[in-house]
Amino acid sequence: MTPVTPALSPRARSWLRMRAIARRHAYVLVRSPHRLFDVTLWPLVDVVLFGSLAAFVGTNQASGASKASGYLLAGIVLWHVIYQSQIAMSTGLLEETWTRNLLNLMVTPLREVEYLGGVALFGMVKLVIGVGVMVIGALAFFSFHTWSLGFGLVPIVAVLLVVGWAISLFVMGLVLRFGTGAEALAWGVMFVLLPLSGVFYPTKALPALMQPLALALPTTHAFTALRSLVDHRGSDWPQLTIAAAGSLAMLGLAMWFLVAMLRTFRRRGYITRYT
Amino acid sequence: MPGEVVLEARGLIKDYSRARAVDGIDITVHAGERVALLGPNGAGKTTTLFMILGVVAPDGGSVSVCGFDLARHRSQAAECIGFAAGYLPLTERMRVNEYLRLYGQLYGLADPDPRITEGLDRFRISHLANAMGTELSSGQRTLIGIVRSTLHQPKLLILDEPTASLDPDVALRVREGLIDVANNEGTALLMTSHDMTDVEQVCERVLFLSQGRIVADGTPASIAESFGRGNLEGVFLHLAADREIATSQQTDHP
Repeated sequence: MTPVTPALSPRARSWLRMRAIARRHAYVLVRSPHRLFDVTLWPLVDVVLFGSLAAFVGTNQASGASKASGYLLAGIVLWHVIYQSQIAMSTGLLEETWTRNLLNLMVTPLREVEYLGGVALFGMVKLVIGVGVMVIGALAFFSFHTWSLGFGLVPIVAVLLVVGWAISLFVMGLVLRFGTGAEALAWGVMFVLLPLSGVFYPTKALPALMQPLALALPTTHAFTALRSLVDHRGSDWPQLTIAAAGSLAMLGLAMWFLVAMLRTFRRRGYITRYT
Repeated sequence: MPGEVVLEARGLIKDYSRARAVDGIDITVHAGERVALLGPNGAGKTTTLFMILGVVAPDGGSVSVCGFDLARHRSQAAECIGFAAGYLPLTERMRVNEYLRLYGQLYGLADPDPRITEGLDRFRISHLANAMGTELSSGQRTLIGIVRSTLHQPKLLILDEPTASLDPDVALRVREGLIDVANNEGTALLMTSHDMTDVEQVCERVLFLSQGRIVADGTPASIAESFGRGNLEGVFLHLAADREIATSQQTDHP
């Protein structure tokens, strides 16, 4: 009988479990070529679409629309920070439900926070690949230097990352509560957020009824700050502060929701949906 | 003389919207003990196991594993438990050794490889180490699942119908492997099965469940005797018939 190796410290075990989950999802990506489209082809398609639109709009100098070309390209690249972080996390849990693997994981010592940490860890890898492809595509096809926007991008990216995680936690909660039928939300919620967040335009362009809703979203303030960078006006700290506070509040709310849904999941025995 | 208590469940209750699935179950399992949880479909076996595993929250009662209260220290309790079931899939898109390494690490083993080799040898499936999960037969998947559940030398191994749908040869290997785990590693077994051969060969103690309650607790022979039947299968059929009568009475008199 081989003795089990001496016990690691609780922190080391936690880190080991997170890396194990990240590696598990790396296998899923590498061995499902169609999933590579999410981090390579589709981001590139978005760059070509919005870059071409930007090039067309930018030719209309008379209306001052050349500014819009920067908004479009910077907007779509930064939008993918939310999109990739959200999709990576949400599909992480969905993968476990699609393959009926949830019970396998839930009977192990893996804590919920470790699972989320592992999925987020690998999600960061996907994010870097996906956004990296877009940055390179924008430069190669449209000579748009994303990094010319400077270090002011860092807090904007951080806010968008947190919002992406918050949305994914909310989607996960819905999947636990309502089953895989709720998975449409993983994608659908992004289509709602995209126009409301003023990713490509100031929210003044939205119908008046929707403007208060848009202003309540942290993403709206993050993209306003982004346009300030595109316009060479430097970092818009008031907008960034609102965005940061809003994103943290959103994350806290999403965590509370997920914990509540997990409790319901255990109380009602929903694990039997996946056995 | 019984060893240390590895599982103590007290007054477990679980209500689902249509019925009470588990109705005040008490179970104590000692180190190295081999216990079967038997009963007809719908008796509450799997729900009981899920409550012991912490994936379903009981509506009443408590579970303690290796001294850890499951409600407050689920992760520590889970480190003492292994779980395998005939219906559990292997994680997709992974080779067998990758899969076993993943779960070894989830159980906190920094270097699970020696235990993986030993586990595969025990069930005579070392040749499957590099196979993809999708290439395996259902019997092979079950064996891999049991290897996974024993990697961390659990004090309590829970098995839900481990030999369901297996051919006699693989079922025999499962039984021999489980007895080996219990004898050599001091692991207690708590298993459900509809195969009375499994139970009579592997388990020294049987808990019979009917309509969410334990109706008998003893050795296979003593239980058969107390119900006036020749063997466990006779007891099983007797309880299943009782349940049908009870169900039809409920239908007649709602």
